[in-house]
Amino acid sequence: MSVRRLAWVVLRDVNRTLGGGIASMELLRRSAAKEGWFDERGHAVLTAVSRLTPGTNVLAYCVGLGWLVRGWIGAIVALIASSVPAAVFIAALAATLVRIDRYPIVRVIIAVGVLAATVLVASSAWHLMRPYLNRQSASRAAIIAGVVAAMSWLDVTPVRIFLVCAAIGALIGMPADAEAPAADS
Amino acid sequence: MSAFALYVLLLKATATSFAGMGSLPQIRQDLVVTAHAITDEQLSQAVLVGRSTPGPVGAYVVAVGYFAGGVRGAIAGLLAVMTPALAAVPLLVLMRRWLHVPRVRAAVDAVVMASAALLVVSVLRMANDGIQQFARVVGWM
Repeated sequence: MSVRRLAWVVLRDVNRTLGGGIASMELLRRSAAKEGWFDERGHAVLTAVSRLTPGTNVLAYCVGLGWLVRGWIGAIVALIASSVPAAVFIAALAATLVRIDRYPIVRVIIAVGVLAATVLVASSAWHLMRPYLNRQSASRAAIIAGVVAAMSWLDVTPVRIFLVCAAIGALIGMPADAEAPAADS
Repeated sequence: MSAFALYVLLLKATATSFAGMGSLPQIRQDLVVTAHAITDEQLSQAVLVGRSTPGPVGAYVVAVGYFAGGVRGAIAGLLAVMTPALAAVPLLVLMRRWLHVPRVRAAVDAVVMASAALLVVSVLRMANDGIQQFARVVGWM
């Protein structure tokens, strides 16, 4: 399998979705099955790894995919193909926004857009939390949410909040028969 | 703020989150509250730009970098988004050995839940900022 083919598949599948990482990973799963890179089990392992890797899930998925297909070179190529095109587009859009920010109509559009972005972030939070809102995990989710609310109110930094929550999570443990839920992006 | 310092701050945020938007609370803490490198309004605009384009959700950090430090800042943001993903390879190797341990999985789950809860806190702040901005614009017109 050529590195060029890997780069093209990753670039095409990751940079044509607006629905976040889950949509991209689904497209990559289909492409990988078609190309014969890995089966359903391979996809499941990559999905779990992408959830455990800090940062953006779909980028971790691409790195893992590239590594499975062509080792470290594949991992680097897949990472570049999945992130650089979107980054260039975003930087160009941000630069444009700075230049046209002074026009009234643009400010109205931005104001509406910011409200829309708030809804999008709320949606991300919901997708992250939804897998845990079941009978098995609800009490754990409530405890963690309470701890986060209290520590945020006390202006504790997010890193410290994560460390405390990880410790609490390890102390509480997993509910019996719990499966690893899917995550957003 | 130098591009390297920006990279370090953004990396701190991306490397301690477990989803694309999960880095938002730490970025706000470091760049808006502490360093005053960007405003709440610019952070909201960065989220808007990031979510308006195809590709990884976490790439909004590139726009954050641009608002804080121009083109160099955008490059710092891109590198901060890319760097943590490389951890996937050693994790792929280690996973089969450790993920079946219930307490390890529970700790990871708790961090994901905390990430979601912190996003809700950010949403409340963004909504407040967005409504104020909208009211200003409407009043100004």
